Amino acid sequence: MTAIETEGLTRRYGEVTALEDLSLTVDEGELFGLLGPNGSGKTTTIEILTGQLTPTSGSATVLSHDPVAEPLAVREAIGILPEREDPPSFLTPREYLQFVGDVRDLADVAGRIETWADRLSFSHKLDTLATDLSEGERQRVMLAQAFLHEPSLVFIDEPLVNLDPILQEEVKDHLQEYCDAGNTLFLSTHFVDVAEELCTDVAILREGELLATRDPRELAGEETLLEYFISTVGADPAEVTR
Amino acid sequence: MSTPTRTIFVAMLKEEWRLQSTLFGGRRFAAFPLAVLALTAGGFVLLSEAGTGQEAIVAGLHALVVFFGLQVGTIGLVGRDAMRDVLGDMTLLVFSSRTLPITWRRLLAIFLVKDLLYYSILFVGPVALAYTPIAIAGGQPPLEVGLLWLTLSGAFALGVGSSLTLIGLGSHHRLVGLGAVALVTAGVVLGGVDPVTLTPYGTYTDATLANAVAGFAPVVVLGVFGVLLFEPGERSQGRKRFALVDRLVHAVPDDRGITHKALFSVVRSSGSVWKVLFSMGVLFGVAALLLSELSRATAIEPHRGIAFGALLGLGGFTTYAWLTQFEDEGATLRYPVTTAAVFAGIRRAYLALVLPTGLVYFAIATVWVPISELLVGVVVFPLVAVYVYGLTAYVAGFSPTELLFDTPLFLAFGSGLSLMALPVLIASLANSAAPTIAMGVAVGVSTVAAAIGIVLGRLAGPRWESRLRTSS
Repeated sequence: MTAIETEGLTRRYGEVTALEDLSLTVDEGELFGLLGPNGSGKTTTIEILTGQLTPTSGSATVLSHDPVAEPLAVREAIGILPEREDPPSFLTPREYLQFVGDVRDLADVAGRIETWADRLSFSHKLDTLATDLSEGERQRVMLAQAFLHEPSLVFIDEPLVNLDPILQEEVKDHLQEYCDAGNTLFLSTHFVDVAEELCTDVAILREGELLATRDPRELAGEETLLEYFISTVGADPAEVTR
Repeated sequence: MSTPTRTIFVAMLKEEWRLQSTLFGGRRFAAFPLAVLALTAGGFVLLSEAGTGQEAIVAGLHALVVFFGLQVGTIGLVGRDAMRDVLGDMTLLVFSSRTLPITWRRLLAIFLVKDLLYYSILFVGPVALAYTPIAIAGGQPPLEVGLLWLTLSGAFALGVGSSLTLIGLGSHHRLVGLGAVALVTAGVVLGGVDPVTLTPYGTYTDATLANAVAGFAPVVVLGVFGVLLFEPGERSQGRKRFALVDRLVHAVPDDRGITHKALFSVVRSSGSVWKVLFSMGVLFGVAALLLSELSRATAIEPHRGIAFGALLGLGGFTTYAWLTQFEDEGATLRYPVTTAAVFAGIRRAYLALVLPTGLVYFAIATVWVPISELLVGVVVFPLVAVYVYGLTAYVAGFSPTELLFDTPLFLAFGSGLSLMALPVLIASLANSAAPTIAMGVAVGVSTVAAAIGIVLGRLAGPRWESRLRTSS
């Protein structure tokens, strides 16, 4: 079954083309990675697929919904963790997650909050104002809101940013388990080694254009995903984040 | 109210209280309505002693509250990115539509209702309450104060709704936004349109059901249009840069880069240089309306040049706030120049924006006001603007928006402004009785105020450098 399908997706801002004719398919159960240098169109792609941005042309389907015509239906069905998104500064994580649960009309919100706070190690901070949390703690709360309703598809822009190494490993394990259970993950990341370790398929973008899609496990011989990425985008290795 | 709407509304109320009490301290925040009550009551006593009638006080009060609503509505010009710069690295619930199945417009509508309730209780409530002694002295029933509170709240909502609608129009078609302002101003001033009947003030003057419908319908219509038209404008990829504006910025003298940096922070942020034009245009429109109403309702013939000069000069505060919105206090200490040099650079940017913009409105006023009358205003205006700069820089430093909810600062700043503004505005009102003396007082007081402003502006640098070093 297909979780995401795009056909000729294009987005222009005046004379600037952020995304050009993107066509790709993501199957259910995949851990799909979107790789690319800064300004390559990764965030634009996620914003279109999650109904936040209307494409200039082209079409998309997300869990059988059209994100342009039914943005709320898409956001009801999926989880989203955008880049640079924090919980509201003057609510506590418990209050914010309760708010998320109420808006999503979930049962047993309190139980879900405890489960996710425990899983992502912020139980001791549940009643602290978000403005007083560290960046890593805020990132954990945002991860929890994306998974609170146990969606079958989650979009994440840079899942491991600001997390300490121990929690990075725990989150990676969780993402893996999540996909093993038949769910789909759509990751956008600069961390090529993370994509290589986790993803079942990656797409490489540069200046809004799709250059290649690849299963990292099928790379030939000694070639790493980083080397493949550099040779594909033609970038100076120093510009690529490991 | 459906469950999610109630959930969002309650969460937003909680968030607002936490934001204010965390930023400014619970006691200071709680004292704010009392400060508004005291300042307003003092103002009423002064106006009554100066012979201003109750009708003129109430009319002026409605106009001022509309103006305040317009200013609050212009927060929409700021957008999320700049809100972060004003409030620090903070996020509000109104911006959570990216991750949840709620539309931005629904969140904005609930946010507006919350804001209206909040200002209606904490700001408009004390203002209406301060009117009680005058109402009782004038033999008006206490119920009249309740009606005043209701119509003032409506006037505030009218201001916010107008602002958001105009910004929404402006963001889609900039000229349409400006055209709408020009049309309303021209309609009021030249066309003989009586706007009073279409405002909550019309309901206050004649409280019938028909007047209530006519007076509050525009409030609802503009509120709905505001929510439908306004876009958050947080994406910068599509933002246009105007080569002409860039060239004008570079034409302003600047020795250490501070002036250009401050100017670019205004012209390249949401709303660009239009927000300065819009903000002062709103002030100008309200002043024109107020002056024409005053002439119509009373025997007073105010000096319009002096009044425009004083009010446009006071409007410089908003521009100062925009110029400093991206200024990080800590970062200024890391610049290889003194804090005094930073303030000097900001002062140059402030004058480069405020003075030409004000003069544009004086030029517009020549359509119906004699040039000889406006010339006095052209003298008063820059002097008042210099005073406003000096006072704001000295009292509030790089965080002028904090004035609004920090009661001691608010009192100090409000008193400082009143000391200059009241004599100048009273001189404008006393024009019919003694025109030469009125002009002399207005020019004399504003000259002294400008001198004080220059001194305060020079003291601001050392004062804030010392404060920042001690606190960091």
